[in-house]
Amino acid sequence: MTVRKIEVRERVMARNDELAAHVRARLTAAGVTAINLMSSPGAGKTTLLERTLAELAEPLDIAVVAGDVQTQNDADRLSAHTGRLVQAIVTNGACHLDALQVNDALDHIDLAKTRLLIIENVGNLVCPASWDLGEKARVVLFTVTEGEDKPLKYPKMFEKADWVVLTKTDLLPYVPFDIGRAEANCLKVNPNLRFIRVSAMNGDGMSEWFEFLRFSVGPAVSA
Amino acid sequence: MHELSLAIEIGRLAEEKLGPAVARCVAVGVDVGTESGVEPSALEFCLEAVLSDPPWKGARAVLTTPPGDIFQVTWFEVEDDDSP
Repeated sequence: MTVRKIEVRERVMARNDELAAHVRARLTAAGVTAINLMSSPGAGKTTLLERTLAELAEPLDIAVVAGDVQTQNDADRLSAHTGRLVQAIVTNGACHLDALQVNDALDHIDLAKTRLLIIENVGNLVCPASWDLGEKARVVLFTVTEGEDKPLKYPKMFEKADWVVLTKTDLLPYVPFDIGRAEANCLKVNPNLRFIRVSAMNGDGMSEWFEFLRFSVGPAVSA
Repeated sequence: MHELSLAIEIGRLAEEKLGPAVARCVAVGVDVGTESGVEPSALEFCLEAVLSDPPWKGARAVLTTPPGDIFQVTWFEVEDDDSP
């Protein structure tokens, strides 16, 4: 018996990245902008989306893919705010969405009637950062009830993000959260990050968030 | 905790590259970059499980941790039966 060594050098994420490229091409061909919404559990992804759908579901032709670890609760909550399709992905314990799941979800969405696709990822600041889903922009929600050092503890998530939305700002008077320090910590790990401060509860800053979404989608192209 | 799905993907990749020779594979080399977001000890634990499940016959996982965000399968060691 002799032992033979075979060199390969194959990236483990190669298959996901190929699928993400495929998703990106599908979306581009259909003129759909996709946003990957990520955060720790409880940062307010679903509530922000509820308000967003109530305001923009029709004008921006929004479709939603909602990832949930075990239930269909988030998709049900979102469906209550829009007649447009909310496609649920129950991950059965998996900690993130991958490009294959998103590609399969696209089969259930009428892309020709969609301009903005929002992907609500699984609540987790670690794993989703590693998986490209074919999105155009990555948005991380960072809530004022968390520690200001979250970006330093979870650098990969903030490194890979394009925008940070600081949520639940209506709670600022009641928590010892220094929003300036939080944003400075974000910029330490990624100097290109941009910020929006919102309260989905009292509406503060929501117009800026809506403006960001309108700008991301661009003007409607008449068929 | 996605190390198990990464371990399964490494197994799939190896089967694609080696075909039936996976049964004779005795070691798999993986580079797990320090910035890759992958926990080497968790991956090693999961790989051990994947590499002892058929068609595998208990290959060793050899992990190295170079700097950077590299995460790749670098090599396989396969035992060849060279008896006449």
